[in-house]
Amino acid sequence: MPPEKILKGRGIVEGTCRGEALASRKPISFLGGVDPQTGRIIERGSDIQGECVKGRILCFPHGHGSTVGSYVLYSLAARGLAPLALINERADPVVVVGAVIANIPMVDQIDIGAINTGDIVEVDAYRGMVKIL
Amino acid sequence: MYLTKEEEHIYDGEYGWAKQVCMRILVKLGELFGAEKLIPIDSAHVSGVSYKTLGKAPVDFLRALADSGGKVEVETTSNPQGFDPEYLAKRLPGELMHGQFEITRILERIGLKPSFTCTPYYLKDLKAGVHVAWAESSAVVYANSVLGAWTNREGGPSALAAAIIGKTPDYGMHRAENRMPNILVELEQKPKRDIEFGALGIFLGKILKDRIPLIEDLGEPPSECLKQLGAALASTGMVNMFHYRKHGVSVEGIAEKLKVEQRTIKATVEELTTAGGQKPNLIFLGCPHCSLSEIKHIADLIGHRKVREDLELWVCTSRHIKEKAWEYVRRIEGSGAKVVVDTCAVVTWTQELGIETIMTNSAKTAHYAPTMNKAKVILAPLEECLKTALFE
Repeated sequence: MPPEKILKGRGIVEGTCRGEALASRKPISFLGGVDPQTGRIIERGSDIQGECVKGRILCFPHGHGSTVGSYVLYSLAARGLAPLALINERADPVVVVGAVIANIPMVDQIDIGAINTGDIVEVDAYRGMVKIL
Repeated sequence: MYLTKEEEHIYDGEYGWAKQVCMRILVKLGELFGAEKLIPIDSAHVSGVSYKTLGKAPVDFLRALADSGGKVEVETTSNPQGFDPEYLAKRLPGELMHGQFEITRILERIGLKPSFTCTPYYLKDLKAGVHVAWAESSAVVYANSVLGAWTNREGGPSALAAAIIGKTPDYGMHRAENRMPNILVELEQKPKRDIEFGALGIFLGKILKDRIPLIEDLGEPPSECLKQLGAALASTGMVNMFHYRKHGVSVEGIAEKLKVEQRTIKATVEELTTAGGQKPNLIFLGCPHCSLSEIKHIADLIGHRKVREDLELWVCTSRHIKEKAWEYVRRIEGSGAKVVVDTCAVVTWTQELGIETIMTNSAKTAHYAPTMNKAKVILAPLEECLKTALFE
């Protein structure tokens, strides 16, 4: 078994969880980019298009697009389709507000290039830690 | 961030979920941007109202806020919705109307004024130096640059959170040291008319990103021209403010300088025009929404002429200004033009109305219409727009 790897960042929204990573190398626009009815990524040109965010640890550099994208994260959570946690390189207001209102643990200042889809990761957003198991 | 005892109680949920989640939004944003405290605001302006641009995205959250007793603490105006009740409601599919009503009803429960305008500054005078929390980028730039009020460029959700708490985190444009120009812009020629101010904004926005320019040689143009400049600037850049008066501004130590040639302005206007010879089926004036004096000016320019049968002429404004300008409105509508309120061409469903080509004097609309309306665009000065719309 390979040794676990610890990435240290900054906790934005508190919480802890453990799950499978879904990692994109591209920014995500939640408004128009994620279907609030299914939790699937529908953003054209996304490298994780068609994937479902439900129950996964969603890793992406940062958000982009409309500020109303925050509301999409709330709708996902209300339907039980939310990601377990959000991991960013750089927190931006759209994702921060979304994480707050949907109560999803969030960590930023993480080199998301170190995380691959399918990795099992542990998130401690109180301390801003992400552990790749 | 330092919180007062009361703010802490709100943060901990002692005043219910609505206030708690709004306080958490403000505190998390404040921490992200290095604010040390919250400061009281005079008013808020909330964007994200049109069902066309949002779909159902905000409904779940807004309803949860309203259901748990969320109410605004300060005067809060709302951005345009998706239709005009008089002219467009009956021409649009019922399901779209229903979607829009669902959003606006919830916003009214939260205490927003149904002002439905992108120019809240025409509803009530904004005093220089007051702190506000406004979304709608064109209004943000106008408030900071022309009116001297202080606001960050809020998003729809953060403006709503500020409205419900009555405060905003003290960072960015709320701090004097961040409001100084950091780049000098020299113009080869003073812009002369609406579209040149708009084109200057479109061009500068792309280059400036979030830097604050001091635009020299602008003189004291009509505020409506500055409105065009600011709206365009915010469309292509993250700029929150521009300076055009040297009064009270220090230019010492500004290392960066940018010179804008007249041919750049001309080329920008040409680039924004995407209709290659197609005739417009909509002439749209009023982006951002018309002021009272613009309505009067348009009425005077129209005179006794009539609108051509093969196109529509919309003059968009707020219901507030339409009521105030009733005398001119009667003259404009006598020509067959429509003084459209609560919405605009960009945030209503122009495709469903059969509109394919839009002619406008707004560079902001020219920038957005190809994607937001799937329309071809002709950017032309006000007088030329009217000439195209009316019989001689």
